[in-house]
Amino acid sequence: MEKKDVLRLKDIVGKKNVKTDPADLYVYGSDSSVHSARPWVVVRPENTEQVQEIMAFANKEKIPVVTRGAGSGMCGQTVPVKGGITLDMKRMNKILEINPSDVFCRVQPGVVDDDLNHALKPFGVFYPPTPASSRIATIGGEIGNNASGVRSVKYGATRDSVLGMKVVLPDGSLVTLGARTRVEATGYQLHKLIVGSEGTLGVVVEATLSFVPIPKFRCLGMANFDRLEDAGAAIADIMASGVIPSMLELVDSVAIKAVNKTMDLGLPEVEAVLLYEADAMVKEAVDHEINAMQEVCKKHNGAGLTSSYDPKERAKIFMGRKKLFPALSKFSDILSSTSLADDMAVPYSKMAETAKKIHEIAARNNIIMTAYGHCGSGCMHTKILMEPTRQDQWESARKAVAEIYEYVRSVKGTTSAEHGIGISKASAFKAEKHDSLDLMRNIKKAFDPNNILNPGKLMDAHEDWVTATDLRYTIA
Amino acid sequence: METRTFETKYLDKWKSNLDSCIRCGYCYEHCPVFKDTRWESDAPRAKMIMIYGLLSGKLEPSTYISDKLSSCFYCGRCVAACSSGVPLNEIITDAKRDFQGTEFETPGTTSVTNTDCALCLACVRSCPHEAREFISGKIFTDTVKCQSCGLCVDICPNQAVATLLSYGTDRSSLNQEVATFLDKDNAKAIVFGCNWSYFPDLQSSAMDLEKDPEYKILINMCGGRLEKPLLLEPLLQNAWGVLVACCPDGDCEHDGNVKAATHVAGLRELLKEMDIAEDRIQLVQIAHGDKTGFQAAIDTFMETVNQLGPLNPR
Ligand SMILES: Cc1cc2nc3c(=O)[nH]c(=O)nc-3n(C[C@H](O)[C@H](O)[C@H](O)COP(=O)(O)OP(=O)(O)OC[C@H]3O[C@@H](n4cnc5c(N)ncnc54)[C@H](O)[C@@H]3O)c2cc1C
Ligand code: SF4
Ligand code: SF4
Ligand code: SF4
Repeated sequence: MEKKDVLRLKDIVGKKNVKTDPADLYVYGSDSSVHSARPWVVVRPENTEQVQEIMAFANKEKIPVVTRGAGSGMCGQTVPVKGGITLDMKRMNKILEINPSDVFCRVQPGVVDDDLNHALKPFGVFYPPTPASSRIATIGGEIGNNASGVRSVKYGATRDSVLGMKVVLPDGSLVTLGARTRVEATGYQLHKLIVGSEGTLGVVVEATLSFVPIPKFRCLGMANFDRLEDAGAAIADIMASGVIPSMLELVDSVAIKAVNKTMDLGLPEVEAVLLYEADAMVKEAVDHEINAMQEVCKKHNGAGLTSSYDPKERAKIFMGRKKLFPALSKFSDILSSTSLADDMAVPYSKMAETAKKIHEIAARNNIIMTAYGHCGSGCMHTKILMEPTRQDQWESARKAVAEIYEYVRSVKGTTSAEHGIGISKASAFKAEKHDSLDLMRNIKKAFDPNNILNPGKLMDAHEDWVTATDLRYTIA
Repeated sequence: METRTFETKYLDKWKSNLDSCIRCGYCYEHCPVFKDTRWESDAPRAKMIMIYGLLSGKLEPSTYISDKLSSCFYCGRCVAACSSGVPLNEIITDAKRDFQGTEFETPGTTSVTNTDCALCLACVRSCPHEAREFISGKIFTDTVKCQSCGLCVDICPNQAVATLLSYGTDRSSLNQEVATFLDKDNAKAIVFGCNWSYFPDLQSSAMDLEKDPEYKILINMCGGRLEKPLLLEPLLQNAWGVLVACCPDGDCEHDGNVKAATHVAGLRELLKEMDIAEDRIQLVQIAHGDKTGFQAAIDTFMETVNQLGPLNPR
């Protein structure tokens, strides 16, 4: 990037809001994925006008632009494969309006999910998509990835809560999409298209979100299963029974072992644990749903059934799930937990088989994988535990990832449930969506004819994720 | 001065820990350095990434990197939040060790002594980390040992001790924040909170409220580094009250809470002498992580303050 271009950017946002030191570029070149690349410059806009000016300039000069929230994406969404400008949105961090009577709020994209929920709490409502990373994830990033979380089984993903938005297009123009109303049948719902577009179509500068009342009663239960198949059957039965859990989580034996090893929680060493929650405004409704779920668990040989309304008790039960990440990272001194084949969704009836398949593929490829997830929404997560400094382990990981997604497609599942595609899942995504890729390319062209917004992702990504970028690890 | 070549001698042992950092970013939400600048480069995750860059040869050592790595108040919030058990503070200390004595060494948040020093050596005695030494007529701070607790800054009678990079935690920045806030219509009180206690405030976002809030929480590193004049300043600027939150007895490793209590008791005496309700300045102890307790204490304090009314009826 030429000096005059940096000067132009400094003109727009002020000198203080531009960074070019190699250390800054290295830091802003990674996220929570295995990938690493460097932008040419990092820029922090403060308002919509600045975003418009930056985009118009970048479009004219054909400079790539990567929009970045917290950079907690797990598939390389914010890794600037083609360099260019990284647009750090964390300075556009204002909650603009909370409107309880019309049931919406308006926020800037840099607002952190937990902050929004903190601000909504006094109104007795919450914004439900909330990913596990809600303490840092920004609304812009959640929109980019169509994030969801443990409660999405009942309340939906980000796309279900976004009513409208203001978006700066690559040429610098500003458009208002969607509406402020609950329903809308006014032409193409372009705001819904922006959700999940991973920063490839426009820069969201404001979002209008809906929220729901905080339920008065919540009850969390747990059941242990000696056989993974039984847990899987229980999930499918619960979802078919008409019960709507507010959470339904599966934790497999590898994850249980990891948690026990590092935290001494004394979880039973079974093949699977199910965590289920119900919530409502009246206790009878919750009782009814919890009982129904426990009956299903019993029918499928679930043991050690416990449940509690007490927040402290609930936190204790949930502890194992919550501490899964650190447990996996500390599973062994030489193994690192990498974000690969990190998420997928499969039909409920295939949940158990998928978990089994993941273990089988891992064993065949000499790595360790775990299966857990928000199975109430069909979402399954894994992590690959491997020695990231060994080249042969990357070959194994490459094979394992390919095999897993081939299996997911064979059972009519989908490549990503909530973490998105980015770079690491691009080849699986392309295989799954092969007959609509051209359509997607045309949509991208309509929004971004010069391909400046987050190039090298989704349809445009490298075929082989291992060599698509530098890996963030040093390989011996 | 003679310098040595930079080597990752102490850092080498952390390679595998840094591989296990999943770069989730959970560590940066409460970091006071990040909260001040809002640049990711100043967050704990960035420190780990930069160290990784140095270890892998992808980054060249520089004064800029040294500055980033030496900017840490050892509040430990990142360690508590880390999703992968990365011992960030130990790693940061080893990074400072590797930079010490090289051409890139910088003080960062380390406290330094300027020429106003009267050589009373009060700071040397008060440093809980044995970071200050009196060598051939001058006071030196060991950049590795110093944990930027600020006790020496508070104790120096000549105001000769300061941190060069204070990230909004020094007296003049805090005074500035006090003044800006108290200038607002609805402003009544200042709450000084220690970075150890969870503050019931938005982390990184801001509210565009129609009505200005009644109080502002100002986060400092430790109750012990709040100097008396700073605690009094809001009242001089017509605030209705000042609340100081610090750790429970025995919880503070630098006994900063004891000092804060002494300061507050002294100021309450002073208010009494001036015939001003002493309850306008209060101290509360908040256990680490007790966000709800902190909010409850603030609410109770605001009730008192609202009953007392304005200090100087405007
Ligand atoms: C430990 C951990 C747990 C996680 N758990 C979950 C989970 O439970 N559920 C889940 O869904 N995800 C999860 N994630 C993934 C990720 O945190 C979320 O998807 C999150 O929403 C990303 O937010 P962010 O602010 O970090 O976005 P970033 O990573 O910064 O960006 C994500 C995408 O959005 C785009 N983007 C960002 N801001 C804008 C904007 N203003 N306009 C247009 N595009 C924009 C970016 O270009 C990028 O493509 C997890 C990640 C980690 C590390
Ligand atoms: S110890 Fe505190 S100041 Fe230092 S990096 Fe961690 S959070 Fe930031
Ligand atoms: S919280 Fe821990 S694992 Fe996450 S980025 Fe920080 S140091 Fe790394
Ligand atoms: S008293 Fe605290 S700030 Fe001063 S030198 Fe010692 S550790 Fe550093």
